[in-house]
Amino acid sequence: MRRRVAITGIGLVTPLGNSTADSWRALLEGRSGIAPITSFDPSGYPVQIAAEVRNFQPALDGSRRKLLKFASRHVQFALAAAQQAIEDAGVRPDPRSASRWACVAGSGMMGVAFEELAQIQRRLAPHGDFRGELMFKPGGPAPDPVAYGRNQANAGIALLVQCFGIKGYAGAIHTACASGGQAVGLALRLIRRGSADFALAGGFDSMINPIGLASFCLLGALSTDNDAPAQASRPFDLTRNGFVLGEGAGFMVLEEWQAARRRGARIYAELAGDGNSLSSYRVTDSHPSGDGPIQAMRRALEDAGADPAEVGYINAHGTSTIMNDRSECAAIRAVFGAASRVKVSSTKSLMGHLIAGAGAVEAAIGALVIHHGRLPVNANLNHPDPQCDLNFVREAEPPHRVRVAMSNSFGFGGSNSCLVLRHREDAGE
Amino acid sequence: MSAAITRAEVEAVYPRVANAVAQALARDPAEVSLNSRLFADLEAESIDLLDIVFRLEREFKIQIPRGRIIEDARGDLSEAEFENNGVLTAAGLARLRDYLSEVPADNFRPRMNIADVPTLFTVETMCKMVVRAMRAAGA
Repeated sequence: MRRRVAITGIGLVTPLGNSTADSWRALLEGRSGIAPITSFDPSGYPVQIAAEVRNFQPALDGSRRKLLKFASRHVQFALAAAQQAIEDAGVRPDPRSASRWACVAGSGMMGVAFEELAQIQRRLAPHGDFRGELMFKPGGPAPDPVAYGRNQANAGIALLVQCFGIKGYAGAIHTACASGGQAVGLALRLIRRGSADFALAGGFDSMINPIGLASFCLLGALSTDNDAPAQASRPFDLTRNGFVLGEGAGFMVLEEWQAARRRGARIYAELAGDGNSLSSYRVTDSHPSGDGPIQAMRRALEDAGADPAEVGYINAHGTSTIMNDRSECAAIRAVFGAASRVKVSSTKSLMGHLIAGAGAVEAAIGALVIHHGRLPVNANLNHPDPQCDLNFVREAEPPHRVRVAMSNSFGFGGSNSCLVLRHREDAGE
Repeated sequence: MSAAITRAEVEAVYPRVANAVAQALARDPAEVSLNSRLFADLEAESIDLLDIVFRLEREFKIQIPRGRIIEDARGDLSEAEFENNGVLTAAGLARLRDYLSEVPADNFRPRMNIADVPTLFTVETMCKMVVRAMRAAGA
């Protein structure tokens, strides 16, 4: 019989709050995390708003505190969210179990801290041309040796495994906005195939810096509604004009089902299905027909052994760009049928787009939806786009049981990730 | 051979050295003392030593060539007299013990690997390193 996977711990650091409880409460209350940018001066940028993590204090205890010097902002989010998830699960790697733990994370669409790059450039290009050899000149402008460790693409995963003493398997996923979802999906597969019994799985990112913001401005992908930040992210609304950049991290503790049951763990939901596809269409465009996402959703449902009719909630990728929203709606219609009344919302309407972190945070939201029987609203949906005629969650609804939830994440480069979660009482042991 | 480093010289630089060590290793300053061993007591790893040296160079505006301690300790011994395939000779060990006079004698083990020498370093070793570099800069 196939091994099943339980979600037993959740940790979130998001623009809506620095814990799972705070983030979840803001989602239910429809409180926006989008505001004018404070982490740097965006004057002169066409976009001056973002969903920033606020009042964040990186905290690690004892000898692990030293790890923070190797951690740039997005990695600090990851460490904090992972710490929460482990505490929430009430299980952690110990000398006996450490080799049975895996850590998989989607991370860093841009891993290098902008300020650090700028500093190196200032020191080593005094007259415009970059001169690396100046680093080794006596009395020269040597850069901080720790910066090297901080800016490796795998810096986050390296610190996570070190921090929690994980000794089984590590994987860092870089598939842009699909990264977080695919990391969680890969962790599911590791446990299923017996490579691990536990996994710390999630995603983290922060692109709210002068280069990250500029990149998306140049692509014309961001909302320029600087005067109305809380209304700027309007997935599926006819008046939407782009996404809002967010930052943060989400981690979950996944466990082999029977073992989680034996130890009496609180199970949020079963992580039941993982579906992936590649559009191989264009670098940044999604196929208008929904080709790509359609296959990912079908594969995830099939993997979960779930029928579309069982699905009670879809956390859409829903970026608030015309291209994504229409393509995703076409895909959902293709999979669920034009008459489907499945509830859909995009939580990016409140927390913006966490890029490589989005898929993991939103899968965790799917688990919370099932656990609490509450649906987060799709905020700012006042004039639904007629080409996005789905059954959106526009207002708070009374609690009701959700048997199966789905979370979509699609990335530049054509990676499509879909995760399916199931109510623990329907897991069919 | 330059004059021995005085207690006063060490104490003059100690507060700033201790602060740099505490920051690099994310320790409360109260946990750091002149006798603290960087590796065994303060849980440093090799990259932390680089970090500490970098911070000291910045703090005191000095240059500390990497590998200087070993070179200084060797002094006028030839490499062959000092070490054999990375293992300290008896003469090499004696030289090192003299040079790292702040390190308790029983921490030096016969046939020590040169690569393990940094595990002997204490906060006072860092102070002396700074004093020597300041002297060299002033010379």
